[in-house]
Amino acid sequence: MRWADLFAMSLGNYGRARLRSVLTTAGVAIGTALVVLLIALATGAEDNVRRSVFSIGDLRLVTVQPFQPGANGLSAVPRTITDEVVAQLRRIGHVESVFRQFDAPLGMIVEGGDDATIRPQGIEPNAPVDRGDLLAGRHLALGDRAVAVVPGNIARLIAPNVASAIGRRVTMRIGGAVKLGSTRIGGSGTPRDYGVTVIGVFDEQASGTSVRIPLDDALAAGADNRGLTPDAIKQSTGYSGIAIEADDSTNVADIVRGVQELGFSSFSLKQVIEQIDQGFGVFRGILAGIGGVALLVAAIGIANTMVMSVLERTREIGIMKAVGASPRDIRTLFLAEAAYVGAFGGIVGVALGIVGGQVIERIIRNLNPRTNPGPIFVVGPDLILGAFALAVVVALVAGFLPARRAMRMSALSALRYE
Amino acid sequence: MGVPAVETHDLERVYRSGRSTVAALAGVTMGVERGEFVAVMGPSGSGKSTLLNIIAGLERPSAGVLRVDGEDLAALDEAALARHRARRVGMVFQAFNLLPRYRVVENVALPLAFAGVEPAARHAKARALLERLGMAARAEHRTNELSGGELQRAAVARALVADPAILLADEPTGNLDSASGATLIGIFEELNAHGQTVLLVTHDAQIAAHAGRIVRMRDGRIAD
Repeated sequence: MRWADLFAMSLGNYGRARLRSVLTTAGVAIGTALVVLLIALATGAEDNVRRSVFSIGDLRLVTVQPFQPGANGLSAVPRTITDEVVAQLRRIGHVESVFRQFDAPLGMIVEGGDDATIRPQGIEPNAPVDRGDLLAGRHLALGDRAVAVVPGNIARLIAPNVASAIGRRVTMRIGGAVKLGSTRIGGSGTPRDYGVTVIGVFDEQASGTSVRIPLDDALAAGADNRGLTPDAIKQSTGYSGIAIEADDSTNVADIVRGVQELGFSSFSLKQVIEQIDQGFGVFRGILAGIGGVALLVAAIGIANTMVMSVLERTREIGIMKAVGASPRDIRTLFLAEAAYVGAFGGIVGVALGIVGGQVIERIIRNLNPRTNPGPIFVVGPDLILGAFALAVVVALVAGFLPARRAMRMSALSALRYE
Repeated sequence: MGVPAVETHDLERVYRSGRSTVAALAGVTMGVERGEFVAVMGPSGSGKSTLLNIIAGLERPSAGVLRVDGEDLAALDEAALARHRARRVGMVFQAFNLLPRYRVVENVALPLAFAGVEPAARHAKARALLERLGMAARAEHRTNELSGGELQRAAVARALVADPAILLADEPTGNLDSASGATLIGIFEELNAHGQTVLLVTHDAQIAAHAGRIVRMRDGRIAD
């Protein structure tokens, strides 16, 4: 029999017991809609988390920490990042650039008063931490000394607004007691004052206490605080951290491996994202499983409908066989009927899932306008096609046994069936 | 003389139910030549319908040889047997066995649909046959709008649509009034006059009398 005839005949059969077909299709539609909704929710959540992580920084970045690999929290075993280590880091394959950082002891901007506690970060020009987040002024440049790039909140403590803070000469007191929140802490060493000129103000969302100063200034302040020379402090304390930029984010894993082989701990957003992906893969699987249960119930409904249909149409099957329908024709007729249930249910279910997601999203946003601006439900073409294909496959599987039963029916027994 | 339309040798059909067995056919040897009009007569349970069903490919014999249009049916698998039913034989049943949800023309064209013929060609063929059987006006009707005689004429058209080697009819007048029955037998005679081989099963001697030859059956055997 021609495929076109088979499908036309099956479509006629689908439309014959209309109410039953509609109810069975509704079951598939609900199951499919649930699968779409739940996977879209998981994808939306993953996208939101990924977007948040992306906003933190560059995926090409690997931060080297002065600890042994695998260290975390209190169990961290310190390692010193000396200039020799930095040279070794530069030699790791796919490393594009290396930026040293030295954190001087805590201190304060005297003009800002008690609330202007700072963490002076000694960095090199164009360091990843000092890029693209300026509210006013400029970033650190090569050859700068006795300058600072401060967060917006500190700038507003020392000047009426961030723009007018630029060019202000302020006193940075490093070491000694500082106030962190409502707590006063002893701090380290004897406090010393350094005059610096504010050259830039960055958005305090990144950090409200970090003050970016030239690396050499930070090393000098750290050395003063401990009564050492800058060279000695590089050897004894070492750098606080190194930011490595890979030539491409796909090579981050190689660099991380290289860093660990040198005996240092590292951190990269790329790895965080990979872990997020893994975690969300499981999450999505669980949600898809919940939707799958609904689809399974729908499949049982299809199987039941098809069994009833085969039983009711036994005589018709007999007639068709008597006039030349092959077993394959009969099986295909019933499978195609099941496929129609799956296809129509799939189309309606996908549409329901998309519309349902939008309605739920609108309700959530109305109830809580501060909800993350990214979409809560994300439905991509792969989800649409996947959910539709799943509905058809589930329907075909459910229809297989009834179709086989119809196929195997004896023509003569079927003709005699009352 | 060419290949016979039907040829059987020691054809047997045994039904088993638990420990008991019933031999519906107990060694039937017979032949139907091309262009013959043969009536198989016999009382109820004589095996005449079983013989017809086996020739039609609706069931398989337990033993013996059966050739229809030269083809050994025992050698055919289920798909080939379906093709045999679609193209080599045309069957007319007592109960008409038309599909009520299809129009008459669609019912008539059904064997051609299963044979893979495209709609325009098969419907044209079906309409031509319906016209020949005086049913042209009923082509677009549903089967529930037809009388018994019309239903059976539609069934005859369906049986003939694939140009079968042999037309098989199992008590075709059984559900018809005498006038419709007479019309139907007239159609069979006319078809036979144009060369159509007809094998008719009936228990009615008056109907059988229209055939060119009568084969009598009793207890699963040919009686004469």
